[in-house]
Amino acid sequence: MSLWVDKHRPKDLMKLDYHKDQAVRLKSLVQQSDFPHLLVYGPSGAGKKTRIMCLLRELYGSGSERLRQETMHFTTPSNKKIEIMTVSSNYHIEVNPTDVGIHDRVVIMDLVKNVAQTHQIDSAGQREFKVVILNEVDDLTKDAQHALRRTMEKYVSTCRLILIANSISRVIPAIRSRCLTIRVPAPTETEIASVLHAVCKKEGLSLPPELAMRIAKSADRNLRRALLMCEACKVQHYPFTSDQKVPEPDWQIFIRETAAMILSEQSPKKLAEVRQKLYELIIHGVPPDVIFAGLLKELVCNCDMSMKCKIASYAAQYEHRMRLGNKPIFHIEAFVAKFMAIYKKFLEEALGDVF
Amino acid sequence: MLRPSKGKKWFKPVFDLDDNLPAKKIALDSPKVKSQDDEKNLQFASNTNILNNVRDSNWMKNFDPVNVEDLAVNNKKVLELEEWMKNSCLKLTNDILLLSGPVGCGKTATIQTLASKYNIKVTEWITPLDIEYPSEYGDYEFKEPQTKKFLEFIINSANFTSLLDNNSCKLVLVEDFPNIFLRTPAEFTEVLTFNAVTLTGLKGALKRASTIMNNKFSSTYNNPTTEIIDSVVNSSGGDVRSAILNLHFACLKGSTCNLETSIIKEKESKSKTSTRRKKNVSNKFMTLGKDQTVSILHGVGRVLNPKETVTEHGHKTLTHNPKDIIEQFLSHPSSFINFLHENYLPHYSCAYDVDEAATALSDADCMLAEWREQICQEYGLYTAVSGLMLANKSPVPAWNPVRGPKTMKVIYP
Repeated sequence: MSLWVDKHRPKDLMKLDYHKDQAVRLKSLVQQSDFPHLLVYGPSGAGKKTRIMCLLRELYGSGSERLRQETMHFTTPSNKKIEIMTVSSNYHIEVNPTDVGIHDRVVIMDLVKNVAQTHQIDSAGQREFKVVILNEVDDLTKDAQHALRRTMEKYVSTCRLILIANSISRVIPAIRSRCLTIRVPAPTETEIASVLHAVCKKEGLSLPPELAMRIAKSADRNLRRALLMCEACKVQHYPFTSDQKVPEPDWQIFIRETAAMILSEQSPKKLAEVRQKLYELIIHGVPPDVIFAGLLKELVCNCDMSMKCKIASYAAQYEHRMRLGNKPIFHIEAFVAKFMAIYKKFLEEALGDVF
Repeated sequence: MLRPSKGKKWFKPVFDLDDNLPAKKIALDSPKVKSQDDEKNLQFASNTNILNNVRDSNWMKNFDPVNVEDLAVNNKKVLELEEWMKNSCLKLTNDILLLSGPVGCGKTATIQTLASKYNIKVTEWITPLDIEYPSEYGDYEFKEPQTKKFLEFIINSANFTSLLDNNSCKLVLVEDFPNIFLRTPAEFTEVLTFNAVTLTGLKGALKRASTIMNNKFSSTYNNPTTEIIDSVVNSSGGDVRSAILNLHFACLKGSTCNLETSIIKEKESKSKTSTRRKKNVSNKFMTLGKDQTVSILHGVGRVLNPKETVTEHGHKTLTHNPKDIIEQFLSHPSSFINFLHENYLPHYSCAYDVDEAATALSDADCMLAEWREQICQEYGLYTAVSGLMLANKSPVPAWNPVRGPKTMKVIYP
C-alpha cells in the first residue's frame, strides 16, 4: 500500500489539477521535435516532479515509468571513491548530486558524459536524446555549476538536462540563460482543497469542505504536505468530522518549543539546552534553513517593530554565513545568542522604565 | 607496582630466571653513547682520557642519586614511600602499590634509592613487544601472549630468589604495567601519585650533578655556570631525566673549546622569558629541552578560562597569547574549533558575552570553509580563539569536564 501522495500522482499532462495552461504549453513543447534544457523551479510541494514525470511519459511513452534503482561509483581526482544512488529508466536517469557534498562536480561531469556518450540504438521510433534529471541544483557548489555549464554545451546533441531547484537565485546566470526556465508556483488553498476532495473521492471517503479548507490552510500551500496531513487525519479519526484536529508536523511543534525556551530565559545555560534541541532537529534531517525560518517566525512574534527588523536582518546575515560555512549549528547558535542578547537588553530597558 | 616476595620460604632456584630483563634499558641508551663517542673521536682523537670516561655503558648512572637526600622528589612523598616499604617489605606482608606521575619525575629513581638503602633486591619487568618479525610467508607470528609471559614472570620472580644474592627481601618493579591487566585500576589498594619535580628540587639535583661533574669528570665537562643550570631548569619542565641530559649536552667540553662561536650564537638565541615573581630574567634554551606542545584539551582549557595579567602601565593582557596557543598545538583547526564550540557555553555567565563568542565562532566557520586559501584556516582559528578569549569578561570559575564534539550526521530511518 503506498501513500496517497504517490498513489494518486497524475501521470498525464492533461490530467494535472492546476496550472493547466502551463501543461498545455509543455505538451506542445514536447510534440515539437526539438526540446531545450529545462530548469524547473518552485517551492516544495508545488508539483515540479509530477510535471516532469508527465513530460517524460509524453516523450517516451509508458517505458519511462519502469524505474530501477542503481548505485553508481565515481572516483574523485584525489582518488576518493564515492557512490551515489540513481533512479533510472531506459530513457532517463535521475540523480541528486548534493548527496556527495563537495564532490558533486565529479558526479555531474562523469554522469552526463556516460549518458551522453551512449546513443540510442533504435533511433527510428525513439527520440534521439536521453534525459538527465538533476535535483536540488540550487544547492550545488559553484564548481559543479560551472562544470554543468560546460557539459551542457558539449553534449547537447545526445542528452537533455532537466534541472530542479527551489529557487533560481543561487543558480549561476550562465546556467539560467542556457535553460528554458519554468516556474511552478505553489497551488492556492482552494486548489489544494479541490485536490483533497478529488483524492478522497477516489479513495471512497467523504471529506467535509470545512476540514479540507483547514488542512489546506495549515499545509502552508504545500500540496504534498496537505495530502500527507489528510491521510494522517484519516488514520486518526474516520469518518471525518469538520472540527477534528489537524495533526501538525512534529518538527514544527519542536521548533515552537525551542523558540519558547529562548524567550523564557536568556542565559548561557539556556542556550546550552537550546543547542541540544537544535542538534536533535538537525540529526532528524530537518534542513537548517527551515530551522532558521521557523525560529525567526516564532521569535519575532514577541518583538516590537524596530526589533523585528533588526532580528530579521541578523537572521538573514547568519543564514548567509551558514551557506558559506560548513557547520550549520555554529550559525544557528550564533543567531540564537544574538537574539538572546537583543531581547535581554530590550527587557532590561523596559524594566528600567518601570522603576 | 611493587611486590615483595615470600622468597624466604623457598629454596633458591637452580638457575637465575630474570637476569636478562633489564637488558632493554641499556640497549636503549647505548646508541646515544656511541654517537657521542663518534663525535669525540673526531674532535679529540688524541685525548683518550675523555673516551675512558664516556665509555661507561650507561653514563646517566653517574648522576643517579645515591642517598635519599639526593632525590629531587618532594620529601613528603619520599617519606610516604619509605613508610610503605618498611611496612610491606620488612614485615613481609604482600602488598601492591601503584606509583603514578609524569615522565621523569623520579619514580623509579626513588624506588631504587630506597631499595638500596634497605638492602632490598629489585627485579624489573619491562613489557616486551608482541609482534615478531614476519616469517618467510609474510605473516606475523605472535609469540607467547603477554599475559602468559607476565604471569610466568611474576610467579618466578616472586617465588625464587637469585643464587647470587643473599638477602631475603625482594621488590618486583613493573614498569609499563601490561595494559591487559589494567581494566580495573581501582583494584590497586594503594596509590601514590608523584608530581612533576619543582624548580628548587631540580636545581638541587642539577647542583649535585655539577659537583659530580667537577669532581669526577672535569676532563669531559666544563664547570656548569649557574646561568646554564637556570636555563636547563627552565627548559626541562619538571623532568629530571631530560634536565640531566640537557645539562650533559650544554656542558660538554668539546663545544666550548673548539666551537666558541657557535656557543655564543646559541646564547644569543636563547629566548628570554621573564618570570614576574622573582623579577629576574632567566633563560631558556631554544635548541634544547622539551617542546612546549600543548595537548588539545589543555589548549581548550587555556582558551575557555582566559587569565589576565596587568602590566606595569595598567594595561590588561592575556597571560597566554592567542597566537602562542595556536602555535602550540598540531591538530587540524576545525577539530579544535569543534572542541571549543562544544565546551564554551558553561564557561560564560552573561548572555551578551555569549553573543560575541558565538558570532566569533560563526565567523571562524566561514573562514574555515574556504579551502582554497591555506591562510584562511589560520585566520579562522585565530578569530575563534581570540574571539572566545576576549568575549569572556566574567568567566565562570567552576571546573567543567571537556566533552568531545558531536557528529551531526543526519540519521535516516
